[in-house]
Amino acid sequence: MSLRTRALQVTTYLGLAILAIATLFPLLWVTSIALMRAPETAAGTPPLWPHHPTLYNVVDIIRRQHLGRYFFNSMVVAAATTALSVLVAGSAGYALARVDFRGRRLVSWLVMLGVLIPNQALVLPLFEMFRAVHLINHYAALVLPAAANPVGIVLVQAYMRGIPAEILDAARIDGASEWRIFRSIVVPLMAPMLAAVGVLIFVVSWNDFMWPMIAMQQEGMQTLPVALAAIDREHYQDIGLMAAGATVTILPMVLVFLASQRYYLRSVIAGSLTD
Amino acid sequence: MAALEIENVGKILRDGQAVLRDVTCAARDGELLAVVGPSGCGKSTLLRMVAGLESVTSGVIRIGGQTVNELAPQQRDVAMVFQNHALYPHMTVYENLAFGLLVRGTPRANIDLRVRRTAAQLGLEAMLRRYPRELSGGQRQRTALGRAMLRQPAVFLLDEPLSSLDVPLRAELRRELSTLHRSLGTTMVYVTHDQSEALSLGERIVVLAGGRVQQIDTPVQVYHRPANRFVAGFVGWPPMNFLAAESFDDPTRVPAGEGALEYGVRPECFCARPGGADDLPLTGRIERIESQGSEWHLELTHRLGQVLARLRPEEALRVGEQVRLWVKREDLHAFDRASGLRVEL
Repeated sequence: MSLRTRALQVTTYLGLAILAIATLFPLLWVTSIALMRAPETAAGTPPLWPHHPTLYNVVDIIRRQHLGRYFFNSMVVAAATTALSVLVAGSAGYALARVDFRGRRLVSWLVMLGVLIPNQALVLPLFEMFRAVHLINHYAALVLPAAANPVGIVLVQAYMRGIPAEILDAARIDGASEWRIFRSIVVPLMAPMLAAVGVLIFVVSWNDFMWPMIAMQQEGMQTLPVALAAIDREHYQDIGLMAAGATVTILPMVLVFLASQRYYLRSVIAGSLTD
Repeated sequence: MAALEIENVGKILRDGQAVLRDVTCAARDGELLAVVGPSGCGKSTLLRMVAGLESVTSGVIRIGGQTVNELAPQQRDVAMVFQNHALYPHMTVYENLAFGLLVRGTPRANIDLRVRRTAAQLGLEAMLRRYPRELSGGQRQRTALGRAMLRQPAVFLLDEPLSSLDVPLRAELRRELSTLHRSLGTTMVYVTHDQSEALSLGERIVVLAGGRVQQIDTPVQVYHRPANRFVAGFVGWPPMNFLAAESFDDPTRVPAGEGALEYGVRPECFCARPGGADDLPLTGRIERIESQGSEWHLELTHRLGQVLARLRPEEALRVGEQVRLWVKREDLHAFDRASGLRVEL
């Protein structure tokens, strides 16, 4: 290895290390603060490390603020949204990439346009629509609008375009029905991208704030971020309690990502690797 | 097994571009028909139309006497081998071979028997549990062939199956394909851009250019009696030389026909010595000699241009010197300058 490549390597890893620290530091600090009690958290900036680690805040927020209930709500909504939108993104992305039908380009463009529209712009019409069908304060109010995720559809469509059309032609000639081709050929080939889209949608749904705040006004129906914001308004001086809430909220994300990172990364780097 | 008939078939794309015009050709039951032409001539489109992967704009395609224009690929009883293999990447060789039988509801025991028999025939027994990415190019193509063979289709379609392989492997698989065709006895349509492949494999050849059939005949006829100037220049390597009567030393002795003619001489039809009194001499300067071992390729500048001649090596031939070569009258091809059609002398 020449000196130059060695130097390049060192610089690259140094840069990556700085990025990693910048990403991880806030997470670790919040977790650390969650394990502290007053007076550590009371006076100004909390220290980096708890002197007497305790689960008091975590137990407290779960017991007194009924965090379990909100956690359950968030889990139901995120899981249902993920399942439904992976189904929609998978079939729509495949159809837009590989099924020849009239108006395909137009639909592709509309989906693309959907990526560009900010969710905030949709809040008012959505509210009117869901009020009209009496679904405000129902899980469906959070799940249904997210079912057709344009980003997911575009990602699957792009991934599907990278899979040679001849493979599908071969299956057709082999005698497989279109549904059989989708089930036995397309879905297995798309699996890494579907996993990635699933993780993405789960995270987005889990973190969503504005629409859930508006659509779920009934006490006990709120999702975790909305409930956490309400707790924050009451207990803004109790940093330890807030940190515990944040930690409990982040934890599922970290677990989902760790469990799926193998698939996730594979699809992110797909295309840069040839077989 | 069945004959394939293609009658007055045309293909116009959505943007109005005509890819095929009035194509008529047929493969007899059990015949290996080679379709050859330069890239973009429409040969792959024709094959995909027979398979049912492309719609037919006009004309009729029949398999075993039945019109299949409106039938989906699933209903046509054809098998196809693609240029890039198109194996299912997430399935093992065994699963790739079995898929076609599986989706058609063949009993498992029967599938197993046929998969193993075909694998043995193609030397793939040891590969059955591997994935396509773990195979060499030749093994992948054999798997693709096996997948097509297994179903015992009425017509076997091959779309440039060897063009992604390296040269020695290509020759080996070409021989295997020929043997396979004889043992299976299935009607085959073999599409290629490589004229030598068409000559060596096809029982008959369809030469396609610009979406039109240029000639349909046996390899011998296509080579020795090309129907027009295009076929003459496309089939055979190195390509035929095209000359004017004035290129020869004595233009008055060159047989004339009606209208203005262009003459064609294959590189191997030049001789360093006259064979008979009727032979036509052509004099030129040797620009280059390329030795191929058993023969030499001579680049010659004559009065009106250049020719390439294949001759037996002779010490007397030197670059820069004038040489007189001889062409037999019967080796002279003639084409109408206006229409390009063959003219019998």
